[in-house]
Amino acid sequence: MRGAKEIIKKELNRVFGDKKLIFSLFILPVALMVGMCFLMGNLMENMEDDVDAHIPTVYIQNAPEELNDAITAAGFQANITNLAKEDSLDSIKDDIINGEKDLLVTFDDGFMEKIQNYTDGAEIPEVRTYYNPSEEYSSTARTNFVTMVLEPMKQSLLAARIGNLDNITIFNIDLDLGASQIMDDQKASGKALGMMLPYFITMLLFAGVMSIAVDAITGEKERGTLASMLVSPVRRVEIVTGKLVSIAILSSISAIIYAISMVFALPKMMGGLSGEINISLSPLQIVQLIVIMLSLVFLYVSLVSIVSVFAKTMKEANTYVTPMYILVIVAGMITMFSGNTTPDTAMFAIPVYGNALCIQNIMEGDLLMSQFLAAVGGTVLLGVIVTAGIVKAFNSEKVMFNA
Amino acid sequence: MIEINNLTKIYKLSKKQMQEQKTKKNMKKAADHITLTAKPGQIYGLLGPNGAGKTTTLRCVATLLKPTEGDIKVCGFDTVKQGEKVRDNIAFLTNEIKLDPHFSPKYMFHFFGHLHGMSDSQINQRREKLFTYFGINDFQDKKIEELSTGMKQKAAIAVSLVHDPKVVIFDEPTNGLDIVTARSVTDYLKVLRDEGKLVIISTHILSDAEKLCDNIGIIIKGKKVVEGTLQEILTKTNTKDLEDAFFELYKEYNMEED
Repeated sequence: MRGAKEIIKKELNRVFGDKKLIFSLFILPVALMVGMCFLMGNLMENMEDDVDAHIPTVYIQNAPEELNDAITAAGFQANITNLAKEDSLDSIKDDIINGEKDLLVTFDDGFMEKIQNYTDGAEIPEVRTYYNPSEEYSSTARTNFVTMVLEPMKQSLLAARIGNLDNITIFNIDLDLGASQIMDDQKASGKALGMMLPYFITMLLFAGVMSIAVDAITGEKERGTLASMLVSPVRRVEIVTGKLVSIAILSSISAIIYAISMVFALPKMMGGLSGEINISLSPLQIVQLIVIMLSLVFLYVSLVSIVSVFAKTMKEANTYVTPMYILVIVAGMITMFSGNTTPDTAMFAIPVYGNALCIQNIMEGDLLMSQFLAAVGGTVLLGVIVTAGIVKAFNSEKVMFNA
Repeated sequence: MIEINNLTKIYKLSKKQMQEQKTKKNMKKAADHITLTAKPGQIYGLLGPNGAGKTTTLRCVATLLKPTEGDIKVCGFDTVKQGEKVRDNIAFLTNEIKLDPHFSPKYMFHFFGHLHGMSDSQINQRREKLFTYFGINDFQDKKIEELSTGMKQKAAIAVSLVHDPKVVIFDEPTNGLDIVTARSVTDYLKVLRDEGKLVIISTHILSDAEKLCDNIGIIIKGKKVVEGTLQEILTKTNTKDLEDAFFELYKEYNMEED
């Protein structure tokens, strides 16, 4: 395997000896991704801050006097305009639709009298709110108005009618909600991570392979530099091995860099999630994770490479690889939304999908050894079959020289 | 020693290729029962118009293509069954085979030296000799993509000769080179011959063949129509120079089958 070793050395030199390539393969994508996550995180934060800071424009019709006290007591901040019974509401509703005004509240005529003179079977007065759920300002104003102003007002009026409110409270449910939620924190944050991670890992590994393999094989074929290796006394198997191993090394490095940067960037994007991620893997789980990812890299490298071998130009190769990329993303996404049912062990043997399932189960801490072996076995088997195809293609004059 | 025995190479054409070549046949016979022998210490020239089958023949010798019929032996090794042995004994150069543009001539020289199983000291010795002859030392550490066409060609020749091969196969050696570089290349082919190597080239430049080749084989439409020294060919065709001889043969054989 002397030839394979030399070729691996050359391929690695090719990348690491070229600052531009290091930048475009390893630094730029990560910088873009981290930048994107930070930007999205900041934008979301800004949006929330902006909604919080916004003072809503509220119109209230037939406001009872008690309402003013309730508003003051709640500290509800708004530009309030009171309307009389006969004022038209249509133009205000139009403005709410357009997002220019935030909330309209109407109280029934004689609202307080109806409450105070209530007898069994009499009409119960109503407060109506008009708001636009598609506008952040409007829906926030409505929520705040209901929870901060109307609910306390209702409670105090109820207390005035009944006396002691405890008389109508038969029992309480979960006074201390935090103490009620008993869960394994690790498994819970593992679940959150287990949902995202398989998707990202399968996708990022493929993205890394894609950019490197097409250039290393179709690019060399197109430039005529592969032929110079074919006239050397090195066996074709060694050339293929050298190529595949070096592509695998490079894409693994790119995937690792991606993964690390994701760990830092994701919490920023998801806001408060960073505090909740609390996961520690056992040595066996770490080994399993690495084996799963390596088998996946091997499969991806062989798949992209066989396409690259048959493609005549880089453009052609990229055209064929893109649909494969989409399939990989879909396989990752299926695991993201697979719910709680664990598929049969046989399903784990389906390449890509099985690997994504494994990563998910490792994160949740319940991967069976049989499932792990099925996934690795299925992936490696397909990888070996495809690699045999590549060696055959390297021996074909039709494929290599278009003869 | 190269022994080509009854070499026939048939390409299957795709529909697109059939359209491009305006033919209704889905087969193309690029080499048609070619038999020839080239011995060490000589420069053998394959002469013929474009598309005659010169490159196909040389690619078969270099093990890149498998003969449809017949067989080829290089230094006693069969090109199909003992491909690696054959490749260890040859240098094959064409315009389509290039050195990786991202590396320097020095790096490529060492890379291919290692692929041939040479030690670093052997490689350094060969590099000293070849780089000095071709004047590569000045730009040996520059990336190949930064070199001029002539420099690239010189580097490619030097790299292909790293393992001191017994047989040098050269497809159109002076194609695309200026006269100065072309001359240094043809001069080196003579040096190789004088060292006892077998050099086989293909060309359609008749003056090259006239000055350079000890033996000439003319191929027209995949068939070898004549073989011998320049003098022998002139006598056989009853002409005064190679150009006249070539056109005599071309008139005679190109008409066939049309």
